[in-house]
Amino acid sequence: MDWHQLWEITSAPDNIPIVAMLFLIPFYVWYGLRQALANDRLLAQLEADPQMAKSHHRKIFPWKEGWEREVHTWPYLMRIELLAAIIVTFILMVWSITLNAPLEEPANPNLTMNPAKAPWYFLGLQEMLVYFDPWIAGVLMPTLIIVGLMAIPYLDANPLGNGYYTFRQRKFAILAFCFGFIVLWVSMIIIGTFIRGPGWMWFWPGQTWDHNRLVFEVNRDLHEVGLFSWIPGIHSVVGKILFGAIVVGAYYAAAGWLIHKLCTATEFNRKIFGRMSLIQYLTLQFFLTTMLALPVKMLARLLFRIKYVWVTPWFNT
Amino acid sequence: MPNPPPVEPDPITSKSLSGPVLVSSLLLIVSLVWALYDEFYGLRPWKNYQSRFRALYSSYLQKLRGQQAEEEEKIRASEGYKKLEEQWRAAREAIAPRESEIRAEQNLTERQLAVLTDLLPTARGLVTSLIYKLETAEGASAKAKLQREVEEAKKGPFRARVPQKDDTLKDVNFTYDELISEYNRLRERKAALASQISELYARANRVQKQLDEYLSERLAGPRASDVERLQSSAKRFNVEIRQIHVLSTPTFGVPETVLVDRCQSCHIGMDANLVPPTVTLTKAALGVDGSTDAPFTTHPNPDLLKIHDPKRFGCSPCHGGNGRATTSVVKGHGRHKYWLWPLFYRENFDAGCQQCHARDLVLEHAPTLTAGKELFRLRGCMGCHRFQGFDDEDEQLRAVQQEILQQEKIRRENELEIARSNEKGDAAATNEEAQRWYRRAQRLQADNNRIDASLEQLERRSQGLLREWKKIGPNLKEVRLKLRKEWIPVWLENPHTWRPTTKMPRFRLDRDEIEALSAFLWQSGIRERIPQQPRGNPVRGKELFETRGCMGCHAVGETGGTFAANLSRLGEKANYDYIVRWIHNPRERTLPYCPYEKRDLTAEDYRKKGLPFVFGPENSRCPNDGHELQIQQMTVMPNLRLTWEEARDIASYLMTLRQENPDSYPAAPFMNDPKLKERGRFLVRHYGCAGCHEIAGYEEEGRIGTELTNEGSKPIERLDFALLTEKAKRGILPDGSQSPRGKWYDHKGFFENKLGNPATYDQGKVKEPLERLRMPTPNLRPDEIKGLTTMLLGSMDPTIPEQFRYRPSGPQKDIQDGWWIVAKYNCVGCHQLRATEPSVLMTLPRYQDPDWKEQLPPPLVGAGARLNPDWMQQFLENPALSESQLDRNGVRTYLRARMPTFNFSPDEIRKLVRFFQALSSQPLPYVPPKVEPLTERERILARQLFTHPAAPCLKCHMTGEPAHDRTATAPNFLTARERLKPAWTERWLLDPGRIQPGTGMPTGLFRREGDRWIFSGPTPAGFRDYRGDHSDLLVRYMFTFTPEEQRLLLGRMPASPGSGSGEPQGKK
Repeated sequence: MDWHQLWEITSAPDNIPIVAMLFLIPFYVWYGLRQALANDRLLAQLEADPQMAKSHHRKIFPWKEGWEREVHTWPYLMRIELLAAIIVTFILMVWSITLNAPLEEPANPNLTMNPAKAPWYFLGLQEMLVYFDPWIAGVLMPTLIIVGLMAIPYLDANPLGNGYYTFRQRKFAILAFCFGFIVLWVSMIIIGTFIRGPGWMWFWPGQTWDHNRLVFEVNRDLHEVGLFSWIPGIHSVVGKILFGAIVVGAYYAAAGWLIHKLCTATEFNRKIFGRMSLIQYLTLQFFLTTMLALPVKMLARLLFRIKYVWVTPWFNT
Repeated sequence: MPNPPPVEPDPITSKSLSGPVLVSSLLLIVSLVWALYDEFYGLRPWKNYQSRFRALYSSYLQKLRGQQAEEEEKIRASEGYKKLEEQWRAAREAIAPRESEIRAEQNLTERQLAVLTDLLPTARGLVTSLIYKLETAEGASAKAKLQREVEEAKKGPFRARVPQKDDTLKDVNFTYDELISEYNRLRERKAALASQISELYARANRVQKQLDEYLSERLAGPRASDVERLQSSAKRFNVEIRQIHVLSTPTFGVPETVLVDRCQSCHIGMDANLVPPTVTLTKAALGVDGSTDAPFTTHPNPDLLKIHDPKRFGCSPCHGGNGRATTSVVKGHGRHKYWLWPLFYRENFDAGCQQCHARDLVLEHAPTLTAGKELFRLRGCMGCHRFQGFDDEDEQLRAVQQEILQQEKIRRENELEIARSNEKGDAAATNEEAQRWYRRAQRLQADNNRIDASLEQLERRSQGLLREWKKIGPNLKEVRLKLRKEWIPVWLENPHTWRPTTKMPRFRLDRDEIEALSAFLWQSGIRERIPQQPRGNPVRGKELFETRGCMGCHAVGETGGTFAANLSRLGEKANYDYIVRWIHNPRERTLPYCPYEKRDLTAEDYRKKGLPFVFGPENSRCPNDGHELQIQQMTVMPNLRLTWEEARDIASYLMTLRQENPDSYPAAPFMNDPKLKERGRFLVRHYGCAGCHEIAGYEEEGRIGTELTNEGSKPIERLDFALLTEKAKRGILPDGSQSPRGKWYDHKGFFENKLGNPATYDQGKVKEPLERLRMPTPNLRPDEIKGLTTMLLGSMDPTIPEQFRYRPSGPQKDIQDGWWIVAKYNCVGCHQLRATEPSVLMTLPRYQDPDWKEQLPPPLVGAGARLNPDWMQQFLENPALSESQLDRNGVRTYLRARMPTFNFSPDEIRKLVRFFQALSSQPLPYVPPKVEPLTERERILARQLFTHPAAPCLKCHMTGEPAHDRTATAPNFLTARERLKPAWTERWLLDPGRIQPGTGMPTGLFRREGDRWIFSGPTPAGFRDYRGDHSDLLVRYMFTFTPEEQRLLLGRMPASPGSGSGEPQGKK
């Protein structure tokens, strides 16, 4: 265990936000979920007692005799926000005094740094480059992410859960978010920061980032693997295109079926599903299946050393 | 109905947040205070340094002032000072009455002038405006009218109240012209009075200046009054950023900032405005001895700063570091991985010099660097590593040959063009056109004539370069002639055990590699026969070896020079016949080498062409193709012009030098195994043997190492630390111990470890034998590693602004070039070249004896002022100064040490002559001053002086008489006219001891009388009414000295014990 190496990575001023993220994201997920579950309990209580529901306006605690019926924004909300602002300002002050942004040596086009890493918030995109063609990982996927985020309000057919924390009423949305943001985006940033060393090689935490390290790793395209390679004509351009299209098509069919199962799994889900138009549903299917493609491809690459599935002269996936 | 009390208080409204708000607000304020502190002090550590310096400096100055005042008091009390002071007082008193008179008049004149100065502009304005009207008026009548008006206006009257002598005011009416002339008169008077005053003061001021000088000459350090001024400025100085800000020479009127160095903000003792050059601050003086955090001393080498004014050069261009950074010591010194030019470590400070002075071999103020560069050259590092400026004769040769081809091509084309032009001219329709074509032909012909001249020079240069091109190691083509066969594998095994001081590094060879290399070298050696030599006398040989000057370069045992091989065990390895030939003439080659055919020519080649097998400077062309041949050994060892007998004696002596019986070397039958030859041939190339040795088939082999010219600015990532990378980054040395310096992942660390053990970076690597690092182990001492590291660290693209780079021309360049040749041939083995550095011979035990001291070769300090460059050139070409009598020195035949023949190329001779002339600030070409011929009477006087018993010149100086010359200790006067410069000769006569301390030439032969020098001994009668300068007379006599004159004098000389022959008497 190379503690020196580990310390060097974690103590770099650049990496402070990521180290913080390791703790802050679980904390806020837990914090938000705690609130959501408390609300869920309250909802259950109110649903069971219609009398109480009638007189109840404040959302978190069941109203009690003698309490104000309404609480003003000022001072009750504003003072909390003020406190938060002070604390954040304090943290930023201390941070800016103690840790300086590293100004590195003049750029030398003849000698680029190794590993050359993107700013931490783009490390996810950089990590994606390992698994896809540059134009898919660098152009198509980011575009889809942005468009997908913009599309969410138009795809959301669930009227519940506005303005308060809840888990029970928005299970699907929350789980989809957790998967897309935490499992994919955040974990890829962490991989990019802590795992990827010189040569963008995979170094487990505590392994020395040795510039001279050599690894043996041969990646193959899917059609070269095992039985597939025996399919007649598969090594021709047309054969590769057809084979890749079939496999990708099969993936989309399977993933679509899986997501459809999820969308219609419960009574509540089926109700929401019923409210969606065909276009809404197909769009949702497209984004979710494409999102799911990322971890599938990552696993194929990391576990089975599959480089590309669909090989064409124009793009590879 | 009362409300029932609430079960629990409302968690939102009942909770007060004032506690947390208060705490976090306080924290915020604390962070604000912290930020302010950080802004004003934390990020500005120089403020603290400056305040500390103020206190330390003030108390130092206080102490200094006391000391200096005391010293001054002592001087003021001295007799000389008092006398001057008295003079000064008298002078002041003498001028007092006259001064007050003048001052009074000055005062009056000035007051009068003030009144007129007020009036004049009004008057002038009035008159000149009228004149303008007159000039521009139209018509004669109008002009006449205005003319009258001008006249009228000039009459005035202009009225002024002019002060008088008796302090009254007098009304005066001036006309315009009167006013002007009075004004001018007063101004002239004022100037005259001022000059009278200064004349009056002249004497007093002169005495005062003498007083000042008297004080400052006797007082070390600043005056007390100056110290006081410093004290007050030290008290008042502002704590602020102190920076050197250098602008470039403006382009289009806009200068650019090329350098900002704020080093003085902490190193405040370097600020010349605060600490003048007369004050030297050391840690001890400031009372911070031993502190590592007190950057207050003044620069330890003020002489260096005189040539590199910090105001122009800054600090960081030489020292490295980030001159702009002021926030921390680490950042200012640039000792972090993001600053590419970190501060050099103290022991490598000289590296900074190398950036600009890469072309200088010898740098007065950079001993470490100079030692490093010397070593780089001496050890033959450039055999494998190209380094611009080091040993680039082969490259130059190639360039010159290329140039020759090009010029020849142009000439050929021109010739064709000339023929064509002439033809066209002949065929031209008009006369004019024909003329145009002919002119063109003429122009081209002129071009060709120029090309012919330049081609001739290029040919000479290529011939010269072939002669200049040396190899650091011996010629391995001649192993069979020179060496004992069994010795070769023993040597290859580890040269350092056999000869610890050898230049040859140790290659990490396996047994089979040693066998293959030995076999190849042995089998590829030439098999010619060399003449057998009878044995000589080793006792006489030893004497000759120790006195002829061999030990300027070679050592035996511990004594002798280190420039060339230590010969202690020569007898074990060498072949006697070869050594005799080598000593007789080391440049003699067995077979000439033709660079065009790339092989050695044999007698066969000559026979085929019907030529005798003779090659040498006169027969240097290849019989097969006419190309220039390599006709001498590529060694720097010169020809000592010994007789065969002497060579045999020395060789016999050297053959007695043994430690082991050579018969004990293991037999090496494999060396005749032809199967090993091919592998050996490959290994020779693989290990780059041909970088240092001449080896058959590899004469023009390139260098195998990496180029080092800019090694210091190579990115650290390109230096292969291999498996030691992480260790270096964590300060663990290759042997596992902690590095005293901490992390060594930098250039310094890389070079030091590489030089200490070149195989270091193979540590832990699994490699095929031929893939291993090839650099051999050079066996360096720590100080040698330091020198080389310093040199490499500094070998970078300079950070110094373009405009201040050192690009010498003229004499500076001559000096730069000359040192390379001086070092190449080790002139300092025998001659002293710098007043502070003795030659090798001077340090040998034998030459400590006073009698032997006179046998030392002449020192060359100031030789340029002494020697006529034309003579010098002849002497360097042929130090015997004779075509027939080679077995002698040309000038000082009495010296046992022999000035050898170096076979310099013309270019080398030119450089050497220029070098010596430039060192003594002598211009070239030399135009000898005209020496006034002697009158008959002067000649008689000079003769008397020359043979005076108090200065018997010919007693020590050579006379050409063999018996006398053996005991002489100075050159023959006959050589003076061609050899010496008259001005130097006169200086020499007056005080030889000052020019050359310890010389046998007596000092004080002349004394000063009035404005001339006269002989100190009792002057002969004839001199009584001679008004001229005696030393000058003697010099003129020497420069018109003839052999007849010498014979004449010899007759008059009282017979010296050495010259017993009756010949001089006969000549009388």
